[in-house]
Amino acid sequence: MTSLVSARNVSKNYGKVRAVDDVSFDIEKGRIMGLIGPNGAGKTTLLKAVLGLTDCQGSLSVLGLDPFRQRKELMREISFIADVAVLPRWIRVSQLLHFVETVHPRFSRARADELLARTRIRRDARVRELSKGMITQLHLSIIVAIDARLLVLDEPTIGLDIIFRKEFYTNLLNDYFDGERTILITTHQVEEIEHLLTDVMFINDGRIVLQAGMDALPEHYVELMTSAENAERARQFKPIFERDVFGKKVLTFEGVGREQLQGLGDLRTPAIADLFVAKIKGVPA
Amino acid sequence: MIARQAILLRRELWEHRSILVTPAVIALLVSLMAVTGHVVVSTFDQAVDGVILGASVLGESERSGAVGVLMTGISSLFAIAMWILTVFYALDALYTERKDRSILFWRSIPCTDSETVLSKLITAMVVVPLVSFAAIMVTHLVVLSLTSLWIEWRGANAWHLIWSATPFIDNWVATLVVLLALPLWLSPFIGWFLFVSAFTKRSPFLVAFLPIFILPMLEKTLVGSTLLAEALFVRTGQLPLFQGLDTGDLLFYEGEKMAAGQAPTISLLPLLDLSRFFGSPALWLGIAVCGLFVLAAIYVRRYRDDS
Repeated sequence: MTSLVSARNVSKNYGKVRAVDDVSFDIEKGRIMGLIGPNGAGKTTLLKAVLGLTDCQGSLSVLGLDPFRQRKELMREISFIADVAVLPRWIRVSQLLHFVETVHPRFSRARADELLARTRIRRDARVRELSKGMITQLHLSIIVAIDARLLVLDEPTIGLDIIFRKEFYTNLLNDYFDGERTILITTHQVEEIEHLLTDVMFINDGRIVLQAGMDALPEHYVELMTSAENAERARQFKPIFERDVFGKKVLTFEGVGREQLQGLGDLRTPAIADLFVAKIKGVPA
Repeated sequence: MIARQAILLRRELWEHRSILVTPAVIALLVSLMAVTGHVVVSTFDQAVDGVILGASVLGESERSGAVGVLMTGISSLFAIAMWILTVFYALDALYTERKDRSILFWRSIPCTDSETVLSKLITAMVVVPLVSFAAIMVTHLVVLSLTSLWIEWRGANAWHLIWSATPFIDNWVATLVVLLALPLWLSPFIGWFLFVSAFTKRSPFLVAFLPIFILPMLEKTLVGSTLLAEALFVRTGQLPLFQGLDTGDLLFYEGEKMAAGQAPTISLLPLLDLSRFFGSPALWLGIAVCGLFVLAAIYVRRYRDDS
């Protein structure tokens, strides 16, 4: 088995609410998987199940371990930021580094020091004295300095300004990702991570509505920008979503060959964000 | 394993600075009281000299007895503060991390819930008493040094009055035993507070203390018996550590002995009866109850889904 994460028919109920509904997927080693969904879609619940923070039905295996029952073993191999800014506010930066260095066998203090040297974070500062952006920088520096086989990031750049968000993802690719490691990431700002993902998974109402490798998207999805009258002709190919842009029609198709649409207007592969809207708001799949 | 537990304990001291600050503040206050006390007393010039002169001719046991009472008084102050500190610490230990959501960070680190909860139990049962003990020793030395300076300034011999006769080691060992025995005896409460701290969604203080008052009342009203009330009364009022007497009788006991013309007790250690303490079934029953609460706290931290 080469899958790092393997989920089969995973479900999770909160009372009568079905937060995750019969979900199956695999994440292979060395991939960067983006988990994308609206608020309340079940993203965080699914991540929590993967991290062993919550129990679920079905079968879920992470690094060959049962995440809920073998949490301690799992935590040695993976690192995560579940939700932003959960670092204890009373702790000093130096104390935090010392603590993680002592308890985490895979933490590299030298690496964390190197990453922190690029920031303006003072070692004797308490977390509560840092700005929101700095807290996230600190948290990320620690997480990235952990030599983990799987890194799970839940909305890692919330509250950061655009310069730091860009910097973060660049650093993530340059410093952390080496083709051996695997990343599972969720975010609202799809545009920002689109270029670094190798795989994408859409989740809505607890169900997976799309799961594909980024390189397979152009084969399956195409977007046509055209005039109103050409749009009428294009509708015979059953677009999954339609929208208006500057007086033109934009139609999204799934499983329709580009040659069939040739001559009807401009063709291109939809951006993840547009595809996401098309899949979530469009005709039921 | 030990290194991990050590860093977890240090972590508790980083977070709960009151464990160090409170004894330090009390030590400072007691020392200041000693200074002001000496200044105030000094205004009764001749009377003071008379008292010092009188003290100088006392026997060794009387002198050491007087110093011992002072030392034990200071220790009691710390012991009371220590227990209040322990209650608030235990109620806070597993509650704040959920409230500020930092539990999500702590759970991303490879420490088990058992290790974490255990570090909090050890902090309440051992670390807090040891810190208090250190503060007590320092305060004793500071207060007695200040008093010595004052006595010397009044022209008497401090070495003779204070230092020569006082059995420091005896007093300190006895104090340490009491400080460590107290949380053991009261461990069911510590376990209960940790458990409340692990499960309650709000106001751990109320959730912890309301049942302690309401359940005995309910028992009296519904069943007519007073078993709970008696159990609580025995637990809070009678530490079975003192030789052949209950804690509450200690003062009378000394009073009677003195009235009988015997020498006052100089040494505290013989008052302590460790075999009676550790032979008491109530102690072990309490420790078992504490253990159950702690297991429950671990279980709740491990398996409850806070989302």
